[in-house]
Amino acid sequence: MRLTIDGRNVEAAEGMSILAAARTAGIKIPTLCYLEGVSDIGSCRLCVVEVEGMAQLVPACNTKIREDMVVQTRSERVVEARRTVLRLLLSNHRVDCFSCEKSGDCQLQQYCMEYEIEMTPYIGSRKEIEPAKKDAHPFLSYDPSKCIRCHRCVETCAHVTGRKAIHLGKTGMFTVIDAPFGEDWKNTLCESCGNCAQACPTGALTEKRRKNYRSWEVKRVRTTCPHCATGCQMDLIVKDNHIVDVEGADGPSNHGLLCVKGRSASFDFVDSAERIRHPLIKNQETGEFEQATWEEALDLVASRFTEIKNTYGGEALAGFACSRSTNEDVYMLQKMVRTAFNSNNTDNCARV
Amino acid sequence: MTNTIYDITHESDAIMLVGSNPEHAHPVIGMQVRQAVARGAKLIVVDPRDIDLAKQADVHLKLKPGTNVAFANGMMHIFIEEGLINQQFIEERTENFEAMKEMVKDYTPEKVAEICGIDADKLREAARIYATADKAPIMYCLGVTEHHTGTEGVMSMSNMAMMVGKLGRPGCGVNPIRGQNNVQGACDMGAAPNQFPGYQNLDKPGVMEKFEQAWGTKLNHQIGTKATDCFPKMISGEVKGLLIFGEDPVRTDPNTQHVIKALKSLDFFVADELFMTETAKLADVILPGRSYAEKEGTFSNTERRVQRVRKAVEIEGETRPDTWIFTEIMNRMGYPQPHLTPAEIMDEIASVTPSFGGISHERLDSEEVGGRGLQWPCPSKEHPGTPIMHAGKFARGLGYFRPAAYTPSMELPDEEYPLILMTGRILYHYNACAMTDKTEGINEIAGGSFIELNTQDAQKLGICNGDTVTVASRRGKITSEARVSEKTNPGQCWMPFHYIEGGANWLTNDALDSISSTPEYKVCAVKVTV
Amino acid sequence: MSKIYLAGRSSDTKIGKLLKKFSGKVNVYPPGTCPLTVQLSLLQASKNQTCGKCVPCRDGLPQLEQLLSSILNGSATMETLDEMKNLAIMIRDTADCAIGYQTAIELLEGLETFHIEYVSHIQKHTCPENIGQKIPCVTLCPAHVDIPGYIAHVNNGDYADAINLIRRDNPLPTACAMICEHPCEERCRRNLIDSSLNIRGIKKYAVDQIAADKVAVPRANVSTGKKIAVIGGGPSGMTAAYFLSLMGHKVTVYEAKERLGGMLMYGIPNYRFPKDRLDEDMRAILSTGNIEVKYNVNVGVDISVEEVYHSYDAMYVAIGAQVGKKLRLEGVDAKNVFSAVEVLDQIGHGNRPDYTGKVVSVIGGGNVAMDAARSALRCGAAEVRIVYRRRQEDMTALDTEIESAVMEGIELMLLQAPKSIESDEEGKCTALWVQPQMIGPYDRAGRPAPMDAVSKAPERIPCDVVLIAVGQDIVSAPFEEFGMPAERKVFQAGLDTAVENMPGVFVGGDCATGPSTAIRAIAAGKVAAHNIDEYLGYHHTLDCGVTAPEAKPNNRVPTGRVNIGERPAYIRKHDFEHVECPMSHEEMLQEAGRCLRCDVYGCGKLEGAVEK
Repeated sequence: MRLTIDGRNVEAAEGMSILAAARTAGIKIPTLCYLEGVSDIGSCRLCVVEVEGMAQLVPACNTKIREDMVVQTRSERVVEARRTVLRLLLSNHRVDCFSCEKSGDCQLQQYCMEYEIEMTPYIGSRKEIEPAKKDAHPFLSYDPSKCIRCHRCVETCAHVTGRKAIHLGKTGMFTVIDAPFGEDWKNTLCESCGNCAQACPTGALTEKRRKNYRSWEVKRVRTTCPHCATGCQMDLIVKDNHIVDVEGADGPSNHGLLCVKGRSASFDFVDSAERIRHPLIKNQETGEFEQATWEEALDLVASRFTEIKNTYGGEALAGFACSRSTNEDVYMLQKMVRTAFNSNNTDNCARV
Repeated sequence: MTNTIYDITHESDAIMLVGSNPEHAHPVIGMQVRQAVARGAKLIVVDPRDIDLAKQADVHLKLKPGTNVAFANGMMHIFIEEGLINQQFIEERTENFEAMKEMVKDYTPEKVAEICGIDADKLREAARIYATADKAPIMYCLGVTEHHTGTEGVMSMSNMAMMVGKLGRPGCGVNPIRGQNNVQGACDMGAAPNQFPGYQNLDKPGVMEKFEQAWGTKLNHQIGTKATDCFPKMISGEVKGLLIFGEDPVRTDPNTQHVIKALKSLDFFVADELFMTETAKLADVILPGRSYAEKEGTFSNTERRVQRVRKAVEIEGETRPDTWIFTEIMNRMGYPQPHLTPAEIMDEIASVTPSFGGISHERLDSEEVGGRGLQWPCPSKEHPGTPIMHAGKFARGLGYFRPAAYTPSMELPDEEYPLILMTGRILYHYNACAMTDKTEGINEIAGGSFIELNTQDAQKLGICNGDTVTVASRRGKITSEARVSEKTNPGQCWMPFHYIEGGANWLTNDALDSISSTPEYKVCAVKVTV
Repeated sequence: MSKIYLAGRSSDTKIGKLLKKFSGKVNVYPPGTCPLTVQLSLLQASKNQTCGKCVPCRDGLPQLEQLLSSILNGSATMETLDEMKNLAIMIRDTADCAIGYQTAIELLEGLETFHIEYVSHIQKHTCPENIGQKIPCVTLCPAHVDIPGYIAHVNNGDYADAINLIRRDNPLPTACAMICEHPCEERCRRNLIDSSLNIRGIKKYAVDQIAADKVAVPRANVSTGKKIAVIGGGPSGMTAAYFLSLMGHKVTVYEAKERLGGMLMYGIPNYRFPKDRLDEDMRAILSTGNIEVKYNVNVGVDISVEEVYHSYDAMYVAIGAQVGKKLRLEGVDAKNVFSAVEVLDQIGHGNRPDYTGKVVSVIGGGNVAMDAARSALRCGAAEVRIVYRRRQEDMTALDTEIESAVMEGIELMLLQAPKSIESDEEGKCTALWVQPQMIGPYDRAGRPAPMDAVSKAPERIPCDVVLIAVGQDIVSAPFEEFGMPAERKVFQAGLDTAVENMPGVFVGGDCATGPSTAIRAIAAGKVAAHNIDEYLGYHHTLDCGVTAPEAKPNNRVPTGRVNIGERPAYIRKHDFEHVECPMSHEEMLQEAGRCLRCDVYGCGKLEGAVEK
């Protein structure tokens, strides 16, 4: 289909939204509630655009393109509507950007900057009625005073994780997200996966550890989750040589999703106090492990294994690989068993 | 898996889940199965427990544990009886169908219902749903494999799929959902007593020679011993030296007492470990290796997808990359192995492993791959990888029906040990918890061992929900917390195996599958007392 | 799958009753309410209707409410209006559903419609003058009759007092007892408890107990010597004549026909309003003493308007709208095609047509169409059909009239636009051809407009007689020639009924409004009489000799409304006798006992609560 967006001729496939068509043409339209492939409920109205022949402005995220459509994404009317949307949102958003963990990574903050909204003329309609923060859950927390009710968490939990653990609380202007992180969190359907927190555009629904870093302080390292065999892609968030968080990445098997283990239990162990950090040799008399140098440890290992090999043959030696380590590690282990041990007694924990 | 997670969850009309609880064991796959059900795919759950997905299932066959082969034979009986087989597929792509037909002849729905403790009509419905769906995958997990007849169970899955032609197409296939992150890779990489990397059999003509040439040394030609078979050999003294890399068999293998005894019998035992595990405690030397976040490399997921692992941090201390450790040992034992980077190791893997021929770190990091990994077989640098196996032709040519007869589990309940104990994973922990229990919040959510008991059994035993109970088998005795519900059928109970305190493997049977030597974790007999 | 359940007694089913109460409350918004507070209520209702999804509605409507509140509490400036407007435009343009955008549209319309009120609130921190809650029934009665007062009299059994109290403002109590469209009942506060009072029914009970002409009218003032001409002896003219007569002026009524009453006499069929009952009102009016009636004098034909004008000190023109409108239709000149008004007029004169065995089609959807159809049935027609180009709910006829017609076996053929009339070689009508319609968007007047249903072919409705009831015209020409301004034949006058730049000329009733209700015509007559008195330099006040009796405590028990029964359709459709049945004494007592006496309780005691 051919259409015109901001005076440019754009070609896009039938069935596409204005937003998608604009993106293919490199035209940016701001969105807050939209989540690609998950939610186009069109609640924030930030993506409204002007379409020739239509009296009202329409949301770009859920309005399908038509042949010969003429769209304005940055007309004065559109920009003014967006500014009002931001002012309205800001009126009910507790502005504590200095201490907010999402500062620098908050979409509301970003769009307010882009649309030059420094403050709102409106007095928040929910200021007096905002319910208390829910943060009894070990990992997750929900602060209604920063929530813009975009429903991304609700839609994510319902349609992406399929768990339906997050609901709408009250309705209407009292709308609040019934996040399962209150005192009764153990009795909810929540699986603690945190995909909701990843979907939240502001600092309302967050992983608690998020407060340990600012987005500009960290580097991201794309890797593969070390738990089950789904092979989820994820980013390790590293600050000062410490992993402080994990975010789901768009991998072919996980599409941005993670489970509780991947998101919350895949890094604390890395630099845990319980890590063994030096070679240890057991004192045969006391039965206690004693710290050794690599030279001592490796010489001992090589000499004892060589001794057994020489005395009883390679069959008396075995080396088991770990189904949790890398292909390269496993390859080298079996190569070691086969070449140095002269044995084929190698296996992995595939069966257990 | 013959297929990808994406196509079996996004393109299927029906899903048959056998002995698999993905919501707990593979949560992100579980989420996508939920999406599939929400989009309208039919769901057949074959599981002895009321797993959460069973609530959304069109049919839940609550099988008696250890009766998968009978179930599959019953399904095939119905396929044949009701004319649901794919005649063309059978004729063109398979062999030995007649023998299969002969085998399942006696497995009438009524007989199978009796063996499995299910309703014959529900079995028929399941057969009809699976067979008549245009696209339907079988997804299975350790509920199929962890039996002494696990191999037969796996073959039965393939037999079913072949009979109705649900192989080699998107949204179909036989899909084992592998357990650990790189269990696929560990098998692919030749950590096996009878196979070199890429499943090249030691005894296949030319293979040994090829590796001797590639590695420049004379190799032992004798097929080795499987890990599970090694333990008895340690006790008997045939195996005297062992290096265990990152495994914790004390916690994860069945019959814990037996494992401890075996390891203690060794002359020399080395552990390459991150933590002081129950297994490491028994070692003579512990070599501190590195975790996935401290090194470069690759994992192969259950879809045969090779994906990158990247170094994010370096921790304080004297830890070393594991490949460095192995290289050092090789050199010190007289095999001249140069130190290679992980990327160089992968290049060597590619050079000796045809199915990995086109895989390299460089390519995995390239724009061409775009972070989507490569699925083996990937024989050359130009090959895009193989998302779906057996399309058009099976790897061996014709698909072979392997008839299997049902045989009961090795240890059945009796008067002394009246309950069947099954074991499995829960959402919050991974295997021996070595990694997961370092996160405080996880322990707060799921801190301790528990046993799921049926309400009727609990009533008879005078056990209430939340009671501390003693669970005993012929091999051991533990205490755990009772969770009383209808999740398991009467006479059956279930425990997670993660915990050392109250760990299920003190109880489990080390009876092994006759072919794969996989232990029968899923069935043993226990008694439960207050 | 898990189990699913019936709705049961969920809040959605339970809320129905509450919502009915709520809509009742909205329906009875008291007259005289500040429109800004209504706008605020509307905003609050909309705000509470938001589902909470979208920002403009969820967060925008509360802001509009705050802005409007600031206007009402006096803290706003003129800039607030711009802020409201801009925010409302944004909500109108961006809201996802009607809860949001329609509220914004209503607010924007309100900002225009009530601009004066908004400015007054901002600048003077108060409503403009004339705002203040008033008694609903009295205010909504165009003649402002003291309804709670006369109901109390009826309740006490003082029927004569009741009639006198009515006549203080309306000298046609019998007419209004029979055929008034009772706008007084619309916002009856009783709706808050159960439903509005049957005010007409109570009045009918009073005049059924004692005829109006048996209740003495107040004694007229001494003669003033002034002469006033009233042109037209219908409800408006006779009302003016009554009050002018009581004020002591000499009134001459010019009536073109042989009897008084206008459309009440010649338009409304006897079965709805028996003519002998109309005479009771007329006799009472004439009994005031100062009225002379010139029958059969058609001003503009028999005597020039100019001559009348010059012969009197003032002139009230109340000639009504008595001529049936023509329909431009192919074949409309066929035999047996008549104007419904003319046929009704003939019947009023006693000349009933014989439709025995005939099939009659009536074109139109107003009360005249109903009257014509039901009269045709009573003239022996075998079948009567009403052909209307809109839907039933678009008909201007009273619902009760439509219902009665249908009960008598008259078929409504809806969404059928007359296209042509077919006739035989003798020129007699044989069928009405219609083009089926579909209802479409609203027209400028705020009614959904019909349009041709293009996929449907014209249909033939066989019939022997066609009666056309598509509105009435005013015979305005002689008066326009005299100089009275008119627009499309409707005379133009101020709300005081005076014609601009024509001293002493007053005009009111249907001829100044187009066809309308009797009570509006009566109100115009009352206003004209008082303003003629003023024009002549007097300030006569009239004492009817009766006041409202003391109020009893409110009866708060929810009680059903007593409706007026009708004779069975199968009987009544064969005669012209009155169709309504009298209310029983007990029924009257219960119904009158429901009156909440808003003239005493609530705002009734406040200054300005009673509309004069």
